[in-house]
This record gives sequence, structure tokens and C-alpha cells, in this order.
Amino acid sequence: MASAKKYWKGFGDLTSDPDSEAIETREFPTAIPIDPFLNGDGKAYDAQASRRDFLKWAGFSTAAATLAACEGPVVNAIPYVVKPDELNPGVADYYASTVYDGHDFSSVLVKTREGRPIKLQPNTSSGHYAYPNTRVQASLLSLYDIDCLKEPLIAGRAATWAQVDKRVRRDLDAATAAGQKIVLLTAPVISPTFSLLWKQFKQKYPSAEWVAYNPISNSGAVAAYQAVYGQTALPGYDFTKADVIVSVAADFLGDWFGGDHSRDYALRRNPNQAMSRHFQLESNLSLTGANADYRIPIKPSEQAQAVAQMYRAIAWGQQTRDPRIRAAIEALKKAGPAGLLVSGTNDGDVQLLVDAVNRKLRSRAYRPEAPVYLKAVTDAPVKGLISDMKDGRVGVLLSHRVNPVYDAPDSSAFVAALKNVKTFVSFDRRRDETASLAHVNAISHHAMERWGDAKPKIGIYTLQQPTIRPLFQSRQMEDSLIAWMGGVLEGVDAALANDSTATYIPPVTECKLTFHDLLKKNWTENILKGDSTWFSALRAGYYERRDELHPVSPADIDLSPALTRAENRYAKTGKIELQLYSEIGMGAGAQADNPWLQEFPDPLTRATWDNYLTISKVQADELGLKNWRDSKGALNGDRVNLSVKGRTVKNVPVLITAGQTYGSVGLAFGYGREKAGKTALINGNPIGVNAFQLYVDRDAIQTEVQIEKADGAHGFALTQLYDTMMGRGESIVKETTAQIYNRGKSDKSRYNPSEKLLTIDGKQPVSKVDMWAARDRSLGPWFNLSIDLNACTGCGACVVACHAENNVPVVGKDEVRRFRDMHWLRIDRYYASDMSYEKAEAEGRSEGRAFFRALEQPEENPEVVFQPVMCQHCNHAPCETVCPVAATSHGVQGQNQMIYNRCVGTRYCANNCPYKVRRFNWFRYAENDAFDFHMNNDLGRMVLNPDVVVRSRGVMEKCSMCIQMTQASILKAKREKRPLRDADLSTACATACATGALVFGDIDDENSEVHQLHDAEKNKRKYYLLEAVGTQPNVFYNLKVRNKIE
Amino acid sequence: MSSHYESPYREPLVLGDKTYRQISADIVKSVAGPAARSWWIAFGISLALSLWGLGCILYTIGTGIGVWGLNKTIGWAWDITNFVWWVGIGHAGTLISAVLLLFRQKWRMSINRSAEAMTIFAVMQAALFPIIHMGRPWLAYWVFPIPNNFGSLWVNFNSPLLWDVFAISTYFSVSLVFWYMGLIPDFAMIRDKVTRPALRKIYAVLSFGWTGRAKHWQRFEELSLVLAGLATPLVFSVHTIVSFDFSTSVVKGWHSTIFPPYFVAGAIFSGFAMVQTLLSVVRKVLRLEDYITRLHIDYMNRVILLTGGIVAVAYITEFFIAWYSGSPFEDYTYLSWGAATGPYWWAFWSLISCNILIPQLLWIRSIRRNFVWTFVISIVINIGMWFERFTIIVVDLSKGYLPASWSMFSPTFVDIGVFLGTIGFFFVLFLLYSKNFPVIAQAELKTILKSSGENYKKRRDTDAQR
Repeated sequence: MASAKKYWKGFGDLTSDPDSEAIETREFPTAIPIDPFLNGDGKAYDAQASRRDFLKWAGFSTAAATLAACEGPVVNAIPYVVKPDELNPGVADYYASTVYDGHDFSSVLVKTREGRPIKLQPNTSSGHYAYPNTRVQASLLSLYDIDCLKEPLIAGRAATWAQVDKRVRRDLDAATAAGQKIVLLTAPVISPTFSLLWKQFKQKYPSAEWVAYNPISNSGAVAAYQAVYGQTALPGYDFTKADVIVSVAADFLGDWFGGDHSRDYALRRNPNQAMSRHFQLESNLSLTGANADYRIPIKPSEQAQAVAQMYRAIAWGQQTRDPRIRAAIEALKKAGPAGLLVSGTNDGDVQLLVDAVNRKLRSRAYRPEAPVYLKAVTDAPVKGLISDMKDGRVGVLLSHRVNPVYDAPDSSAFVAALKNVKTFVSFDRRRDETASLAHVNAISHHAMERWGDAKPKIGIYTLQQPTIRPLFQSRQMEDSLIAWMGGVLEGVDAALANDSTATYIPPVTECKLTFHDLLKKNWTENILKGDSTWFSALRAGYYERRDELHPVSPADIDLSPALTRAENRYAKTGKIELQLYSEIGMGAGAQADNPWLQEFPDPLTRATWDNYLTISKVQADELGLKNWRDSKGALNGDRVNLSVKGRTVKNVPVLITAGQTYGSVGLAFGYGREKAGKTALINGNPIGVNAFQLYVDRDAIQTEVQIEKADGAHGFALTQLYDTMMGRGESIVKETTAQIYNRGKSDKSRYNPSEKLLTIDGKQPVSKVDMWAARDRSLGPWFNLSIDLNACTGCGACVVACHAENNVPVVGKDEVRRFRDMHWLRIDRYYASDMSYEKAEAEGRSEGRAFFRALEQPEENPEVVFQPVMCQHCNHAPCETVCPVAATSHGVQGQNQMIYNRCVGTRYCANNCPYKVRRFNWFRYAENDAFDFHMNNDLGRMVLNPDVVVRSRGVMEKCSMCIQMTQASILKAKREKRPLRDADLSTACATACATGALVFGDIDDENSEVHQLHDAEKNKRKYYLLEAVGTQPNVFYNLKVRNKIE
Repeated sequence: MSSHYESPYREPLVLGDKTYRQISADIVKSVAGPAARSWWIAFGISLALSLWGLGCILYTIGTGIGVWGLNKTIGWAWDITNFVWWVGIGHAGTLISAVLLLFRQKWRMSINRSAEAMTIFAVMQAALFPIIHMGRPWLAYWVFPIPNNFGSLWVNFNSPLLWDVFAISTYFSVSLVFWYMGLIPDFAMIRDKVTRPALRKIYAVLSFGWTGRAKHWQRFEELSLVLAGLATPLVFSVHTIVSFDFSTSVVKGWHSTIFPPYFVAGAIFSGFAMVQTLLSVVRKVLRLEDYITRLHIDYMNRVILLTGGIVAVAYITEFFIAWYSGSPFEDYTYLSWGAATGPYWWAFWSLISCNILIPQLLWIRSIRRNFVWTFVISIVINIGMWFERFTIIVVDLSKGYLPASWSMFSPTFVDIGVFLGTIGFFFVLFLLYSKNFPVIAQAELKTILKSSGENYKKRRDTDAQR
């Protein structure tokens, strides 16, 4: 039966409307306008339109049809066939996690886009270890490292996990049978669940031993804590409780005992509240010393004596012999419980004295009852391990995140002993100096790919979760151990495992149960204990158990032998002493192949891609060592051979550094990596020298040092070539003392005078002398960035954050040497110089050359100031007026915007920028093998932020005030139909800043923090950089206040 | 004929026993005859240099501006130095042909053609630099206010670089028209004199059908005046606008109100020096000793002394103000103690000695009228004026407001190659011109032969005695 169904096309069809019937008969619903081309009776010759019109139309149609046939370059965007629920293209997801690579620890928020982690941000809700430092932030780039191993290896050849498991289990069994030890050598592990797993592993393999190894030793401090408090840990500190801080070479704003003191320290550096006073006694100018109110240069060997004298003065009330430290001791005494003594030494005796002093003071800032487990390992087990290996007592050596072949001072002994180990299994992703000797490379995950947990401090638990499926055929170390245990976990059954978080599929494992299952069980049962749920802990990334905090009772130890030993420790010293240290950028060198870190300028020397011997000017002159600038302005230096107790490191470049104590030299760890991947090599040679070679007895202080000038010169890549402000301080960095500031709070002309210009109407403030119309601020927010020079410690976390957020290219040592680094945000470091025209005149060197030379020279022990400088987003921007094509112009939210597409690259804007913040793309930095870093391969480019364009060659670029972040916040607020809130707004640098030195927001929003800071009536410290130029920036500074007594 | 009278005390402008016919013959000789061997050698060297320069330019465009020695602090160096230097050189030609025409300076007639040719060729070299110094030179047309389909994009009329675009293009077109217009009667003369049919055809085309009718001459004279009137303000405006590139900026050392007059004087100073350099060679090679005389170089040296004096006063003013301001930001501007004793002391002292000290020799009459001395001093001035622009740009940029960003500049082989290339290209053009074009404005020169020619002057003297 034929269907009688009829489908109506519309109501007209239904009602049989004559109009719609008429339409139906036509081919096109409306008439095609061909009439102008034809006359009434369809003949062309008499048409309304002329022949020329016809040709025009025909020609246009032909051309349009032809052009439409052309194709532009096609880039395929492949959509999800099945879109994961939690993933929206273009919308970032954040996961709370933990980064710990054995060296640096931090809670983080992992920003992912389309399933790719692209940035590590602070997990600000966590009160501890919340702010990732430079190295933690940069560790993300290692995830996308093209050099790392992509599959497990046996004897250097690719293997499957089944083969690996078979081989290793065989060897483990053989070692057990032969009564040989199975040793797991790891970096300090602070994972409570791993400890649980290890117990089970030991049950299976009773001869298993776990040795933790810390390349930069804390052994003495740990031993001291152990002696007094009976626990393997380091004491906790609370810098917010300290009115007076006396630090004897403790770089607590850097790497000291695992860090995480910057925020607490900076909280007490606000001059509007009670400001702490900070004394620093040290030989190398450290980040911490640079922030101190009083910096007292001492030789490395004098550290022990200094602490001993403090002990004598405070515990026994003795007079202090040394006039240099008398003020510090008096201040400590006066402060009493509000005082704090810290020491960076690895000498257990000295640390015992420090503990005693703090207890005597009843220091509130000293918290031995809150022990820190991070990096709390002693050296003894490693020494035992090497002798065990040598004697063939070790059957299987498993190593994870350690590189003793590079960083053990007796690495040759280790390599020799390794020959007697039957099977050496390395879990490291990279074939570094140690892993390349392994028989089996059972590659483990990157921190972004793995499950894990950590307990850095008592009561603080953090979780680590994968944010991306493993990129390669790797398997996390814990899962490997489980596999080798036979895939059985005690107390975890398969049912629970099947119930586990559905999204997690262990990619390559032979067994059903994984570390994740154990982790979940351990957390639920032993850590959360029903007070919270696994998922809420996972969401937060951490869990805090306050009930673990108990008062401690220190053991009563007779300190007189320790005192005697400390005082006589360095009784015999040479003329020059060596203090080894770690830089904030490179640390112990585990990430020497990380382009972001290599290009990160050291906050103090401003050097990139290098380590060097830091030496004082006077000492260098005595030894005939020189630094000089070449015709490009780049710095060159002499080289020396440095010998310590019969060991020599050759060709160490010498960098003359202000603040280095006379009689001492400094050398940073972390360089001289031979097998760290392409980035750590230049022309096949390692970058820098290996300072671990001189780390004799794992003591960072070496007193018997010979320095001998070597041939040849070394080229440095410095991002700043002049150290002082050349008498321009009042316009660049304003500073005062707390005394003056507090006395004259109402009258800021005493410490923060506004700059005035002489006009026809007399002297006028700069803001009144203005030829331009004011900007229209009526539309939307008006963004400002406040930079507090008191809170800024110069750590540089913002620099790396800016790199990651804005796809800032890495250019390499040669280009940095040509002064072409691309950092959008730099931290200028100035050394104080007390030179003035008056002083020079008195010294008879006020004329010409002599005067300028005098101005260039920093003091021997200078005050230091760090000044973060990025685009100042001037309201009267010099760059905007000079661009011929208007490629840089002002946004309605106050930003000075750079339109890359429009830029033709005249560089006039950069020339006219008084702040020199504009960066030019001299070459194509992406997809160019001449810049063999991460942007020339598909894997490395996965780290790029898709919200920020990768700039092409020949265009200018600069800080955008993270416009992609503010625009996203504005759109979000719009979508949610609510006004913009202060908390919505941030920039990459302000987000990364641990000390709150950078505050970003809308000054038109009266509830915003930056609004309060912008108000010059309320914030007396506000000033503009180079205000007299009249640029009226949207970035302002808060002047530096030192807590000094004049 | 009163117009054919000139005081016997004035030195003749045309030496020797010249007649109208003789002048024509002298001009046609070099055009019609084969090129000399020395011409070919010079041409070969120039061509090689210009090809080398072209290679360097292509390398720059292909790889990136990074092949130059610039850095994040110093965004311009040799590129804009060369630009300003070449533009400055161009100024003398226009001054000679336009301003001296308006002032009825007859001595200009032997030199104005070559001076104008020099202007045009120099401006061509200059115009190259703003294009190749761009990071993306293939988008150079974006600096023109042409309607486009990029939305409502328009150029930034506040930018001195844009003013440069207008200034240079106007200057180039007016100069070119002025120069070519003057060439027309001379081309016609050559057309009538040469014998080879091919040459005759070429010059027939070039001469635009000039027949020398009275009406033609009348229009020629009128147009000359009109174009001279147009070109005269350009002499002052072009370098004024070039100086705005610097003086409207906020860079210390650049931001200076005396830049416009000082730059114009400097441009004329260097332009006359270049004319001296070129004509010293041309008069020898093309045997034009009778036309380009001691009197000519004497007059030009006087202009050099005057403009050099203005430049010297400007230097002293700049130096004084930098010191007198007492501002630490002025310590290192290109004319300051900081520059004189800093890493660029050699550039500073080259500038002082080449531009101020050595040209003072020209106060001595015998040196002023000596061809060799003039040649040497003119070269020295050319070098000095290049250093002037170099110090203004590089020294001022290298030590800006924030000492943390201070740096230095050192050229790469590409920087040097591009500069040498433009010198080569300039001489390629100039040699082609001197071989094929009438190098002396013979039609004009003939108008003063009877008043200022040595022969006629002598005859007048003897007539008077008789």
C-alpha cells in the first residue's frame, strides 16, 4: 500500500495559500536579478546594464570562483570522537598534586589544557610548601624532554616490561639465594606509603636494604637533631615569630634544609608592621644575605667560631671577643624568645650549639617539635654501601633519582665498586652518568604521570596524582617493585583495586594491583582515618593532621666537647677558603638539561649557562685574575685550576663578585654534567665545572685550597653587565631605613619625595606636567601591578613562571652573551655604591674617567636590591607614539598591547623604551634547529600555552600583563553574570610569587588589594620607576625599607 | 649685452679657450666614446661590492636581523647610521641646484648635475636601510597609508618613522624630476651630436622630443624655478624630519631641541664633502679640469667651513647642556665626559677630530684651493660624519636610563657587508651616470660662458684696452 503520508513544508502548504503555491513552481524562491542585463524581452543588446558592467560582473565572478578554489595551508584539528567529560577544549583544568624529584619539593596546582600539563602553579590553599620555586616550576619541561628514555632497556637495548620483569626477578631471586644484598639507593624519600610498600618488599626479599642519599649533605644537622630529639629529622622553623634573625651562612631563602621559609620571612619584612631585623654572617653573597639588613662578611672557617661565640655569650653570658658579631649577639639577647639563630653548616657540633642557643633564648621561631623530614638523611649508609659493593656483598642495586657517578665526591670509588655488582637497575628516565652504567633501565614516570604521596613535615601529607597518561613506555618505580614482588600486595585485594578511580588505567604493568591501590588504602586507613575522604584529600592535594604535633623533650647533652670541637674545627686554615653552594636556579644539578633553568639568570651574578668561581675584587687583583668586557660588551674572565686536598678541577672560570668575603671563594654545585642531555652541553662539552669533585668529605667548606691561573679565557653570558645604579638611585630604586620611615610616616617627602620638574610655573610634580590627554578609564577594569621591593627576595620564581605562561623562547648561551635573552620579566640586581660626586671630589677623583669608574664599582660588602622589571604598561607609552604601523597601542584596561601580527620590526619602540623591556625576535626561535631546545620538536612544544601565540621572527614582544589570563577571567565573570572580583585577576608572576611582592588587580575596584596600594595617601611607599620621564606607568613599586639603625 | 658682463676682478668659471661648440664636444666625448679601462676597473670593483652587499642583505632577510650585531638594548646601529649618513650626503645636491639657483649663484652650473645625481643615488642607498632594517621587510608596504583589507588598520601618524616615509619619498621624487628636467636639453644636444644610430635613438627617447624652441626654453626656465622653489624647503625639511626620529624620543642624548638645525647643517656639511670627493675624481677622470676649477672647490670649502662651524657650535652646546644639567642621566650621552672616556672613546674622538679639528685647516686659503688637500679633508669629513651618527645612535642607546640594561655593540661581517654593498651600489650608479649622462649642465653653462669664461674675459680686457 502506497503511503498516503504527506509532509507539510509550511503552513502555506497546508492552507493551500496561492503565494506558496506560486513559489513552489519556481526554481529559486526569489528572483535572480538578471533583468538589468537583459531588456524586457530577454535580449541582451538593449539591456539596462552596460556591456562594461556585464564584463565587470562576469570578471568578478570568475575571479571569485578561481580564488575560492585556492587553498590555504591546512592544519588539521582533530576533534575528540568521545570527549572525556571533565575535559573541555579551550578550558584549563587544574589538579592539585605534588612535585618531588628527590631534590625539590612543592605542592602544586597543575594547569592542564586538552590533557596536557602546561604549567605548575602554587597550591595556595596548602599552608606548607605551597609555592614552587624556579626548579619545581621548570621541572614540568622535563616531562616533554625529547632526550629521555622512551622505553625500558636491558643492556642498553630496548626491551619489553615482561622481559625486564623476568630478568630482574631472576636476579633478585639469585641475590636472595646467594645471600647477597639487594640495595635500593634513592634520593631522600618522604613517602609514607612507599615506606609501607618497602616493608612488604623486604618481606619478599629479606636481604633488601634501602639507602637514601642526598647529594648535598645535611648529615650534621640531622645528626644533631637526632642526638637531641631522638628522631631522624631536621628542626622546624617559623620565621613569622622572629623579630631578630641571625643567620650564620644559612641560605634559608634558597635551598637551606628544603626551603619554604620565604613567605614567612617576607611576612615580617613589611615596614608597616613590626619588621624583623636580619643579620647574615656569610662568605659567599647568598640570596638570603642579599636580603639581610646587616650582612657581616666572615670566612667559611669562621662560621663555627661565630656560633661558638654566640653560644658562649648567650648560654654563659661571656663577653664576645669579635667586634663584628657583637651587634648580632646583642640583638639576639635583647630579642630573647623573639630571636632566632640559624646556621647553614653541616657540622653536627655547630648545629648542637645552634639548638642550644635557640633553646636558651626560648625562641618561639625555633620549633623542634615540628620536625621536617624533607632531606633529612645522614651520610653513613652511603659510605657503607660503597664498601659493600666493593666487597661483592651487593647482588642487585636499584637506583632511583640519584646520580652518584656525577655528584658523589668519591664517584670513582662508586664506579669501581659498581663493577662488583651483578645487576644494576636504574629507574631514572634519563641515561645520565649513573643510569648509563645500568644493566637494566626500568624507566619510571615523571612527576606528572605518577601516583605518590609525601610527608615533608610532621602532620603535613601531600598527594601526587597523574595529570597525563604516561607519554612513553615508562612505569613508576613503585609499580615495578610491586611487579617484582609478584604483583601481590598485602592487605589490598583485587576487589578494591577494581573499584579504584575509573579514569586511571595503569598503562604498562603485568599485574593487577598498583601502587595507587596501596596509596588509597594507606591514606584511607592510616592518614585520613575517617576524618576526611580520599577524594577530598585528592582534590586538595594535601592533608594536615594537627594531632601529630607533640611537645618534644630534648635530651640533656653535655655540650662542652661539641663546643671545643667546633672552636678547633678549622684551627688550621689556608690563605684562601672555598665555600661550595647551590644556586637557586640549578640546585644540585639534577635538571642541568632544563633549558628554562640554564637560561635562568642567577639572581646575584645575573649569569646564565654557567658556574664559576666567585672571588672578591681585592683577592682577584692579588692573584692577578681579571674580568673584562669584549667589544660586544660581553664579559670574559680568566680561568683557574682549583685544587682541594689533592683533587683538582681544571679551567674554572673566575667571576669577580661583590660581597664575596676576602680570603674566600665560592663555587656552585650542579654544573659540569657530562651525560645530562643536549641542553647541558655546548659543542659537546659540559656547561660549567663539577664542584662535587671538590666536595671532599662532603663538607661544603674547604680550607686548604690552591688556586693557580690557567691558560685561556672564559666567556660568560650575563644578563646584566653593570652592577651599580651610577648615581641614579633616586629615580630607580628608592630606599630608606625603618627608622626614618616610621618616624616620618606622615611626611613622605623625607624618604619618598615625589619628583618635580621645573616649569614656567615653578616646580611641579611630574604628574602635573603632561602634554597628553588622560586615558579614558570609564570602560571596564584598569589593571595595575604593584611590586614591593621589601617583599621581593629576588628568588626568580616569577621569571620561570613567565617563561612557562607566555611561551618565552630560550635562546642559548651564545645569544645571551650577545645580550639577546628574551625574558619578559627580569630581576635587576643592583649593588650599593656609596660613591657620590662629593665623595669623589674629596678623594680627588671627581674628574671624567676616574669618577665614572668609581661609580661603576660596587662596595666590597654592598647592600643589594632586587628590582623585578617587566613592561611598565605606561599610560603615556613612548613605544606607542613611535611605531609607524601602530603595532603597539593602549588597551582599554590599561595595558600597553603588542600586536604581533601588525609588527614590521623597526625596533624603534625598544629603543624608545626607557625600561628596556621589549624583546625582539632576532631569529625564528621555534621549529628551528639552530635553537635546539624544547621548541624545535613536537614533544617539547607540548608545553606551550595554547592561549599565547608563539611569536615569529622579526617581531617585537614583551610582557602583556598576562592578558590571556585577565581576558579569561573577564569572560568567566560575564558568563556567570557577576562583576569581576579581585580574586579572579592575576598574572603569572603575581601568582608565582611566594612572598606576595607582586600584587595585580583592578585599581578601579575599591575592594581590591591593588586599589589600596595604588592610593598614594594610604601607601606612602609607592613610587614609579623613572617617574620623571613622564610615562605614567601602570606598574608601580613600593620602596625598599631596611631595618637598620643609622 | 649686459647679461654677458661680469666684473673682471672675478675669477673665470670656465677655463681655457672654450666656445659653445667646444663645450658640447667635451660633453659628448665621454658619452660617445668607449669607456676607459680605469672606468671598467672601477665599475668592476663597485659591482662586486654591491653584489656582496646584496648577498648580505639576502642573508639577513633569509635568516633574521640576528645576523647583525644588535641586541636587546641597542636596536639600531649601523643600519640607521648608514641611513642618516646617506640621506645627509644627498643634501648637498639639492642645495646646490635649488638654493643656489634661487640665489642666482652661477658657479653652481658646472657642478649641479653631478651633485644632483649624487643626491638621487645617495637617497636610493638611504632608502634601502629603513626597509632592510625591519624584522619583516616583506611587510614594508604597511608603512604606507594605503587602503587595506586588514580591517580599519591605518598607519600611526604620530610616528617620526612615518614622517620619514613621506619626507624621503617626496624628496626623492622631487629631486628626480628636477634632475631629469635639467637633463632634457643636454640629452637633446647629445642626440644631435652622436653618430651611432642606436645611441641617437636612445637619447632621442630620453630627451622627450626637445627641439630647443623659444617656448621650450621659456617653459624650462619656469619649471626650473618652480621646482627649485619646491626643492628648497625640502633641503631643510628632510633632515629636520630625520632628526625627529631622535629628538622626539625620550632617549637621553636623542631628546634634544637643537637637532633639526644641527642635523641640516651636518647634512649639508657632509653632502658638500661628498661632492668634493666625487668631483675631485670626476674632473680628473673625465678631463673636466676646465669646468671644475679651483674657484669651485674654494666656494664649496667655504660652505663646508660655515656648516662645519654650525655643527661645531651644536656639539659644544650639547656637551655644555649635558654637563650643565647636572643630571646623572646625561653623563653618558654621545657628547659628554662619559662618552669621551667610556668604551666608545675612539668613536667620540674620531668625531671630534674629523668634524671639528681637521676641517679648520680650510681657513687657510692655499689649502682651501688645493685639490689634493680638499680631497683628503672631504674624505675625513665623510668619515667623521659617519661616526657622528654612529655615536648618536649607539652610544646613546648603549647607556640608557637603567644601568642594568647597559650593553655594547660590535658589528658583524653582515653589518659591514651591507654598508660596503651600498657604497658599491652607489658607485655602480654613479659610474654608469658619469659614462652615459652629460655630467655638466652644458646648456646652462653656455649661458655664462660669455660672461665668466676665461677666454671671453680675456678678450673683453683686450677690447677695453684697445
